[in-house]
Amino acid sequence: MNEATPIQNPTAEQPLSPWQLFWRRLKRRRIAMAGGMILIGLYLVALFAGFIAPYHFERQDRDRFFHPLLWPKLSGFHLVVPRYEAGDGSFVYHPVAGDTKPLRFFLRGDKYKLLGLVPATVHLFGTGDENYPVYLLGTDQFGRDVLSRLLYGSQISLSIGIIGILLSFTFGMMIGGISGYFGGRTDTVIMRLCELIMSIPALYLIISLRATFPPGMSSAQVYAMIVIILSFIGWASMARVIRGMTLSLREQQFVLAARALGQTHLKVIMRHILPNTFSYVIVAATLSVPYYILGEVVLSFLGVGIQEPNASWGNMLTAAQNTEYLRNYPWLLAPGAAIFVTVLAFNFLGDGLRDAADTKS
Amino acid sequence: MWSYLFKRLLHMIPLLLGVSLLTFLLMALAPGDYFTALSQNPQISSETIAHLKARFHLDQPWYVQYFYWLKSVLSGDFGYSMAYKIPATSLIVGRLWNTFLLSFFAMIIAWGIALPLGIWAAVKKDSWIDRGCSLAAFLGLSVPDVLLSLLALWFAAATGWFPVGGAQSPLNDLMSPAQQFWDRAHHLILPALVLAAADWAGIMRQMRSNLLDTLRAEYVTAARARGLGEGWVIYKHALRNAINPLLTIFGYSLAALLSGAFIVENIMAWPGLGRLTMEAFFAKDSYLVVDCVVMATGLLVVGNFIADLLLAWSDPRIRLNK
Amino acid sequence: MNLLEIKNLKMDFGTGADALRAVDGVSLTIGAGETVCLVGESGCGKSVTALSIAQLVPMPPANYVGGEILLNGRDTLKMSNSELRGIRGGVVSYVFQEPGASLNPVFRIGNQIKESLKLHRPLGAPFSDPARSGDANEPGRRPALQNYNNEIIRLLKLVGIPAPESRIRNYPFEMSGGMQQRVMIAMALASEPKLLVADEPTTALDVTIQAQILELLHDLKQRLGMAILLITHNLGIVGDMADRVAVMYAGQIVELSPAKELLRRPLHPYTKALINSVPKLAGGASRLSAIPGNVPRIGNFPPGCRFAPRCPIARPECSNAIPELVEVEAGRWVRCPFWK
Repeated sequence: MNEATPIQNPTAEQPLSPWQLFWRRLKRRRIAMAGGMILIGLYLVALFAGFIAPYHFERQDRDRFFHPLLWPKLSGFHLVVPRYEAGDGSFVYHPVAGDTKPLRFFLRGDKYKLLGLVPATVHLFGTGDENYPVYLLGTDQFGRDVLSRLLYGSQISLSIGIIGILLSFTFGMMIGGISGYFGGRTDTVIMRLCELIMSIPALYLIISLRATFPPGMSSAQVYAMIVIILSFIGWASMARVIRGMTLSLREQQFVLAARALGQTHLKVIMRHILPNTFSYVIVAATLSVPYYILGEVVLSFLGVGIQEPNASWGNMLTAAQNTEYLRNYPWLLAPGAAIFVTVLAFNFLGDGLRDAADTKS
Repeated sequence: MWSYLFKRLLHMIPLLLGVSLLTFLLMALAPGDYFTALSQNPQISSETIAHLKARFHLDQPWYVQYFYWLKSVLSGDFGYSMAYKIPATSLIVGRLWNTFLLSFFAMIIAWGIALPLGIWAAVKKDSWIDRGCSLAAFLGLSVPDVLLSLLALWFAAATGWFPVGGAQSPLNDLMSPAQQFWDRAHHLILPALVLAAADWAGIMRQMRSNLLDTLRAEYVTAARARGLGEGWVIYKHALRNAINPLLTIFGYSLAALLSGAFIVENIMAWPGLGRLTMEAFFAKDSYLVVDCVVMATGLLVVGNFIADLLLAWSDPRIRLNK
Repeated sequence: MNLLEIKNLKMDFGTGADALRAVDGVSLTIGAGETVCLVGESGCGKSVTALSIAQLVPMPPANYVGGEILLNGRDTLKMSNSELRGIRGGVVSYVFQEPGASLNPVFRIGNQIKESLKLHRPLGAPFSDPARSGDANEPGRRPALQNYNNEIIRLLKLVGIPAPESRIRNYPFEMSGGMQQRVMIAMALASEPKLLVADEPTTALDVTIQAQILELLHDLKQRLGMAILLITHNLGIVGDMADRVAVMYAGQIVELSPAKELLRRPLHPYTKALINSVPKLAGGASRLSAIPGNVPRIGNFPPGCRFAPRCPIARPECSNAIPELVEVEAGRWVRCPFWK
């Protein structure tokens, strides 16, 4: 009985790595996966906006201001596009019976740049005839196709969210890590600064920052400006949280072990401490992107962000402020619906990520 | 506890100073000022402009301007609004009061709905009530303020039940005090509802999650083990502990509320600080912008302080341990 | 009639195909005034069994699929909520492992004790449970209360808290772990239970404090004539406290025996291994003996005898069927056919 006996049927299982566990838990949450799918769809559409949109975002149809939704219809086995006509001077359009044109796919149309680089003219759908337009979401007060502008606008609104997050979170993580790791005076100064920034209600700070930029800028400059402004707001709260996590992480044994092996401070922060914050950061990032998107929307909506004629979901909504327009031409709210769907999808995904990362439940 | 609160109070002062300095600096970096537009006007001589500039210290470096600004603010004088041509103090105080009213009522509505719903959802976990609340919260969290405000305006215009913007009717001054009160209340309802609608979801989810966590705590099992009824256990033991973390998110909630108020004020024409900020922004009235930002920050900081007070009073661990 | 009779208790976590059996046919009796220790490693199901007595395990996910728990002859598994509330605190009281976590942090301890008193011993009446009011003449029972504060102070003194008058207004976090545990015991005693279930009451405390708490429990048991179900994974306690011991492994009782007999001459291989693995301070230095392998996790039980994979005397037939718990000597039950 005193000799060691071989183990007959070891009952321990092979444990899964944390990432595998996380992914399994995430897959089980169908709402989160749905959110993720929606987002992938949205970003793909944004990527190929020029191709999917039947028209260029600046293209005006002076004969068709405030045109209602114009959808192709089934005639036999073909899709045809009807033509509408307005009563004299008013913006009320009626379809002209029998006057249709077939819908075509992969046809040539307005010029655009695929992925912003390659000039192209092929569009997903259209009729090819100027007198038979396809306005799936109607037109706005300048006769521009709302769907096309929505698609081009998605490129701006969606990308600003991602780029803004990347910038501010990277910056925030580094500052937070440094602040928490070194402590002392550096920590106090940085935290005071963060607190200062966080004490100002976000939109007030955004407007103040906007004021430091000149009013007339090129669209590229405006885009960069918005990203910078939004990142400035965002990094402070991330830095604070990361600093808190760093404070407790740096007391852990593996940090001591790394230092004992001769790692420099910076390496310890970058390779040991910060990676342990990833689960929090990923969840926070996913849940924060909507705020960045909304930041751009509000700025553009108030007229101090993306300027006409460029399209962004924000400046498209400016027209909807007019209650007359809103009552008669409700499709002007389409960007609002797009924003809602995007934010909803991010929230679904972020919530699922958070549940999957939470090892308590 | 008092020393803790006193320290927090002392803390507020450098914070507000810092914020005013930061904003001042940002506005000083802004290209052009109020007079850039005026100087284009051929009817106004350059001497007049120079004279006006000197009067408002706009020809001095920014730190000198800041000093003058600070001096006058500390004596209660917010200077002179060049855009409105009236002393800024009365303007700001009036707008501050409006923003406060809007935020306060929105907060009452939001918390008043969110807390009971959160408790209900936690107690009836996984029932259709719980799932319904979660779904509603998701939707509520996702609807942007901008969209909601626009929809509210449309609703007001379409039904005619509510005024479309503004804080009072044009004829308000001619009304009796009772009528004035109801008139203002009538104008307040829709903006407050819109603002509350954006805020309640987060609070409800937090309340639900806190209560669920507390219900899992060992002292809850111990309380049950002593024979206490389920209702007593939930509402006396668990809830009391679940509330405390909510007080900590009160600060974030208030910050979100003030930011949201900014949007609602601008879209629904509610004459508050947010709207004034935009007006000052477009008029390039930098002093006014700084005043507004500092005021709004002050509102937030005071709100946070009150939350700290409540938390210290409610949680003995903080009260006695610092 | 025994105070407590657990008969063939079977409990699952979850339902249907995902059900995991946490308690598999556990039977245990406790007589009035007796101290029984329930010993086992983490995850063997001892805490869940004990919590089941007053149905304190959250249902869902817990799911009782067989057996009964007779407390004074009545099956607690079939009791209504109001009946359960009656026995909780009144007939059976609990003391939990982490005293800091078992006390509500935002209420003063005096108030928490008073709450228990108000419930079980309202002023003027000896007990709120009419079935118990006839016990007023039992040894150790007190007459009706006229004043809560006095009773609270008496209870605190009973559990050995010095200067109880000043402690009444303390919050839990203002006391040390040992003190908190004494307060918990005071609260448990407030309703004068017949059975005190202590789930690892000393595991979270320092060794010296452990000894004090155990001595307190022993002392109280003698004074009040109360039965104790003491759950622990520490065999050292067993010798001091227990009249009888039940050893649990993987959801089943594998040995049940009077305490001294068990320690002197354990019968089940698991019990033997447990006793052997306790490091001895006296005697020559030798290798620590550990039980090879790991405790099987719920849902992953091996076929047949659950200890077989780690058992030094296991034979191939051990994995065929789960052995029965058999009374092999007077009062001694073993779940192993090869115990000799």
